[in-house]
Amino acid sequence: MFALIKLMQSLFGALHSEGTPGQLALGIVLGSFLGLTPLLNLHNAVVFALLVLLNVSFAGGMLGWAVFVPIGFLLDPLFDWIGHSLLLAPSLRGLWTSFYNTPIVPLTNFNNTVVLGSVVFALLFAVPLFFAARFAVVRYRATIGERVRQSKFYRAVMASKVYNVYKMFQP
Amino acid sequence: MSVKVFRWRAIGPLLILFVIACVLWWLFADGIARRESQRVGTQMLGAKVEIQDLHLDLKNGDVSIRGLTIASPHEAFKNLLQADEIIADLDMVPLTEKKIVIDRIVANGLRFGTPRQTDGRVAAKSGEGIAGRVLAETRDWANQFQIPLLQLATGKISIDSLDPRRLSTIPAATALGERADSSRRAWQAAFDTLHLGPALDSASATLEKLKRARATDLSTLNEARQALDRLKRARDRVTTLDRNVTQGVSNLKSGLAGLDSARRRDYAFARSLLKLPSLDAPAVGAALFAPGAIKPFERVLYWAQLARRYMPPGLLPRATTGTSRVRRAGEDIRFPKERALPRFLLRNAELSFLLHPNSDQPQRYAGTLSGLTSDPAVYGRPTNFGATGPQLVAGGLLNHLHGVPVDTAGATVGGIRFPAFQVPGVPVRLDPGAAVTQLGFNLNGDTIHARFAIRSTNVRWARDSGFANSTIGDLIWRAVSGISNLDVEARLSGELHHPDLAVRSNLDQAIASRLTAVLGEEVAAAERQIRQRVDSLVNDKVGPVRARVNEIQTQAQAQVAQQRARLDDLQKQLEQQLRQRIGLP
Repeated sequence: MFALIKLMQSLFGALHSEGTPGQLALGIVLGSFLGLTPLLNLHNAVVFALLVLLNVSFAGGMLGWAVFVPIGFLLDPLFDWIGHSLLLAPSLRGLWTSFYNTPIVPLTNFNNTVVLGSVVFALLFAVPLFFAARFAVVRYRATIGERVRQSKFYRAVMASKVYNVYKMFQP
Repeated sequence: MSVKVFRWRAIGPLLILFVIACVLWWLFADGIARRESQRVGTQMLGAKVEIQDLHLDLKNGDVSIRGLTIASPHEAFKNLLQADEIIADLDMVPLTEKKIVIDRIVANGLRFGTPRQTDGRVAAKSGEGIAGRVLAETRDWANQFQIPLLQLATGKISIDSLDPRRLSTIPAATALGERADSSRRAWQAAFDTLHLGPALDSASATLEKLKRARATDLSTLNEARQALDRLKRARDRVTTLDRNVTQGVSNLKSGLAGLDSARRRDYAFARSLLKLPSLDAPAVGAALFAPGAIKPFERVLYWAQLARRYMPPGLLPRATTGTSRVRRAGEDIRFPKERALPRFLLRNAELSFLLHPNSDQPQRYAGTLSGLTSDPAVYGRPTNFGATGPQLVAGGLLNHLHGVPVDTAGATVGGIRFPAFQVPGVPVRLDPGAAVTQLGFNLNGDTIHARFAIRSTNVRWARDSGFANSTIGDLIWRAVSGISNLDVEARLSGELHHPDLAVRSNLDQAIASRLTAVLGEEVAAAERQIRQRVDSLVNDKVGPVRARVNEIQTQAQAQVAQQRARLDDLQKQLEQQLRQRIGLP
């Protein structure tokens, strides 16, 4: 329940923040990388650093991560198939052999079928996701955004911040 | 309005996060490495790998392990080896390529075959992973050697019940009887279709007429010629029938001979029901020592096959199951490359170990291992290992550089005390004492040549009390109790999936000659008895069939001969009368 409230806070916090739709969409895209690909990998450290360092919506990143984790689990068989096809493609063998024997690159686990398949999928999916997310944020803010901000539900969800503050200061 | 690209103030928290990660690594790296080493080692070897303490010193590239225990994958409460201390000199640069290159390992205080409190087998119980599959394969391989035990336990020759339904003579006799009846019916039908009666009657009438006819009676003469033609045609038909009968009789005779063959087979089958001891010397050797001799071959083959799985030849991409995680593990695909570093390489290891660690004067030995690698074709040199000491010479070479891997190992170990064991099928226990053991093993592709030998000059025999009143027990005891030396040799050769196993020992001839002398008469009597039993079951069926076949063939042949004689007689008389009428001599 607490996680659900946190997710809603992230969602509403991101949608009603002062960030531009582009910043929010880019945050969601970076978050989708964390969700779609196996988390404990070197590329995700880079993604996380980008999410922190770039002027994109961090809340959007958390939202994208939360939304795409279950999708990542569901699509694992597809990622496995993509990675398998790419890694065993005879035309790409030279490239992979070169990567495999280059310092640092093997630490990314690119030679794992699920890791490679999910990264490739996330990269290809990033562009449509960015435009779709930006369009959705613009439409939301232009249509029902203000009404949601005025709703009791919104105030109730965001009011739980009081609880968060209390939690921060409790011994 | 310009939009800032970077959030510079986030660098501080990111750095703090990095420092926290470094501190966590510093605190927990040793524990993580210890647990991972245990997990990977257990998975690879198919037996529990336990490490008391592991310390990573990345600054100096050292890894030190204390209290390493590797359980035996084959024996439940035994360790394969224990090591007091292992120090590895790690090459740091290849770690950036996720490759482990160990320049040198020094291992001290190795001990082999020590007892353990818990069952350390993993692959044998789960059957999972590469080790599990290899273990199952080698177990199946060992089980293909079906060594018949000497059936001497009671000292009696017993005969299992003889089931008449399993004798082949009885159905063969029934079938032959049916075939004989069928032949008789067929021949009778063929005989009836000859229609000899009209031809014979007509010829007889013509003969009588011809006797009274004059030389000018042309119509009678012509009629006689026609009768002669009919007789010849009838004779041809009889000849054809005769050929068929002869052929059929020959087949029936073959059937009778087949009954004799079937009876011989039944004798052989019945003999197999006798629980007779094998009396030839090689069979005695195999029965006594082969079950024990298979085990060392099975174990060496397990390690050789495991090495082939983990050290495959060639440079093609290789897929292995990925590291387990919450998400799907997928497959890790390796891409070996010539003139690059292999994924794992141990350049050189120096081993110091003890044999007989519990004795008053434990013996210290030294060994070396070099070129142990996951990618032999990349490293370009075979794996060598060797050990020497006061009573030990051992060496081995794993050459997986080319398409056909060649694995060779040999060892001679002296002064090993084997535990006393019950000799299979024989009511005696053998204590080999301090023995010299030799093992030679060569696996070239799928062709195996291996030899295992035990020599001891101080064996002791103990009689199994359960056979105190057994004649055979006395016999075996007298044969072996005076023998103080033991010389057993097992050889394995041929295609790996189905090799030939030969086992001999110095006891073979002694036991075989005594057995032959005493049991020869008894065996002959038992064989006579079982033949009589077969005869009593078979004769009731075979005798009537044999008589029926003889009767049918006699009857058919007589019938044909009789008709042929009548035809010949009439033809002769007609020709004679005809010659007289026309005035020929």
